Amino acid sequence: MTKRYNDYFGDFGGRYVAEVLRAPLDELEDAFLDAMDDPSFHDEFDEIASTFVGRPTPMLYAKNSSKEIGGAQIFVKLEGLANTGAHKINNAVGQILLAKRMGKRRIIAETGAGQHGVATAAVCAKMGFECTVYMGEIDITRQKPNVFWMELFGATVAPVGSGQKTLKDAVNEALRDWASSFADTHYIIGSALGPSPYPDMVREFQSVVGREARAQIEEMITARDLNLEALVACVGGGSNAIGFFEPFLETKAPRLIGVEAGGRGPEPGNHAARMKGLGRTGIVQGYKSLFLLDPDGQVQDTHSVSAGLDYPGIGPQLAALGVAGRIEFARATDSEALDALQFFAKNEGVVFALESAHGAAEAIRLARELPPTSAIVVNMSGRGDKDLFITAKQLDKERWQEFLAREAAE
Amino acid sequence: MSRIMAHLVTHYPDADRSRAVAQGLIDGGASYLEIQFPFSDPTADGPAIQKACQDALDTGFSVDEGFSFVRNVASDIRESGREIPIFVMTYASLIFARGVERFLADGVDAGATGFILPDIPIDYDEGVWDAATRVGATIMPVTVTTAARARLDLILERSPKYAYIALRRGITGVKTQLDSKMLAVLDRFRDAGTRVMAGFGITEADQVRALEQHVHAVVVGSALVRTVTDCAADDHETIRAAVAARLKALLPET
Ligand SMILES: Cc1ncc(COP(=O)(O)O)c(C=O)c1O
Repeated sequence: MTKRYNDYFGDFGGRYVAEVLRAPLDELEDAFLDAMDDPSFHDEFDEIASTFVGRPTPMLYAKNSSKEIGGAQIFVKLEGLANTGAHKINNAVGQILLAKRMGKRRIIAETGAGQHGVATAAVCAKMGFECTVYMGEIDITRQKPNVFWMELFGATVAPVGSGQKTLKDAVNEALRDWASSFADTHYIIGSALGPSPYPDMVREFQSVVGREARAQIEEMITARDLNLEALVACVGGGSNAIGFFEPFLETKAPRLIGVEAGGRGPEPGNHAARMKGLGRTGIVQGYKSLFLLDPDGQVQDTHSVSAGLDYPGIGPQLAALGVAGRIEFARATDSEALDALQFFAKNEGVVFALESAHGAAEAIRLARELPPTSAIVVNMSGRGDKDLFITAKQLDKERWQEFLAREAAE
Repeated sequence: MSRIMAHLVTHYPDADRSRAVAQGLIDGGASYLEIQFPFSDPTADGPAIQKACQDALDTGFSVDEGFSFVRNVASDIRESGREIPIFVMTYASLIFARGVERFLADGVDAGATGFILPDIPIDYDEGVWDAATRVGATIMPVTVTTAARARLDLILERSPKYAYIALRRGITGVKTQLDSKMLAVLDRFRDAGTRVMAGFGITEADQVRALEQHVHAVVVGSALVRTVTDCAADDHETIRAAVAARLKALLPET
């Protein structure tokens, strides 16, 4: 097992925040370490995981897809079947239990795709916390259904009109709120990034995905006499990937592959891929890692069809493991992700979230290169329901717009 | 005597007219200038300054131009016949991208006395303090009145010449109420021989007067930026006069 609290991962990580945020981060570090050693904390987490989140999530053998590709056997961890539709809820549950231990009464969060916001709003509804979710104005437009769900759960969705009006700007706004509210407020960050102890903490809460997947896949490959070749996950900030990979970080096999958003192509502003030479080492939003920066250190614009991958930084542990070579990185473009989404929908009856579909695209590519005796597991970190308005517009524009026009006229 | 460290964002509202802002601050009686280099993600700033930074970036600000600006303002200060030290305020990303030592050296070369770096804490300093010693720059550490005693001690151990102390828990730009706990923190630094620069949310001459005996200088930021915002469409001379008037109104009559 990897160490619970690292602060730094190689050159990356740290706690680069204004002094005002030291007090809540120090408090959080103490609460986190204390909880990790407390069996009753884990019991409560497990109880909520099984009765509310829907754990364990299934592992699907994508038999038809594997057959059609004719290479490696593909397995899909159906994490998107968790309550609220994505892995994000694991972290939200863990952190709200910490908030309870710290005696906070109010929760703030940032969200991009809206999945983390929905998960946070849901656990706040369940646990009786007041909740404000910061969300970029552009993300509010492209992920409207999730805004509706958050409000249904009783959360306030606060639009962020600064900067690029997407995820990174929502993080800035949440940090600003926290700087003046931490006495009674906990900030539930949505990915394995930000100042320490967040990257360590989010990994710990998401590692439940990896532990389940390992047990499930071991049984399934033994039954089929397969060799586990690789684990594949999409990488926005990196929380689903680091949680999925966690049980394997200190072993040499299987290969661990993170898939970033290739967007429309490798030119600046058209993608959100920070690894493989596109990112620079920098310090942004409280942590040191690889970011998409211009030569002056200004954060560059990013693009991805999936709001959840549309972020200029990568979690420090993934960056460090990428530099060290334990984790490989690949990219999938917007259109490759959409193709993969259709492929698995037709063959398996599951719809990947657009974020997760980036991982699916890489799994298809990789399966082609491998023999049928190999197994690949891809993490479907989320299900695609939330993306209906984007996917339908991309894949069936005319009929979808007719439908919307009819609805609007009613 | 009251002193004010007046804050401005270079290239806001644009390169030329931010020079007018600096000149207005010199005319208005600033004792120190804090020149902020805009960063795309200024998490420690409130809405007024954040918006100003965004607009400054939209005018095409570059770090090289920022240093040229400092050079020009330093020459305006010399011309005024007054002594007004310049501190460059910015975020870690800009320093780190240029290289810590090079950034500090370029600033000193342009005429800056020192640097204010809110997201480079003393125990994650990226070599900033050592580099500052090598290039002859002064680091003005930033802290807050609500910081734990051990955190304040960490700064006091360095016996800094200056310390920038935020008077409230939150980010800049919301009105501050002074209380005895805040003042006790200021006095601790003052008694240790550090020149205390305190601010965050200062909008009135009364607040400046209340702080006077506890600090070396009062920091005024958002209030001045809002003045610039109000005359962002005006010409050089109008901006210069408006900024000077706003600053004078904050300084108690002498
Ligand atoms: C379904 C899904 N997958 C992945 C991500 C990306 O985040 P991370 O890299 O932290 O898993 C998101 C973010 O919103 C998401 O909603």
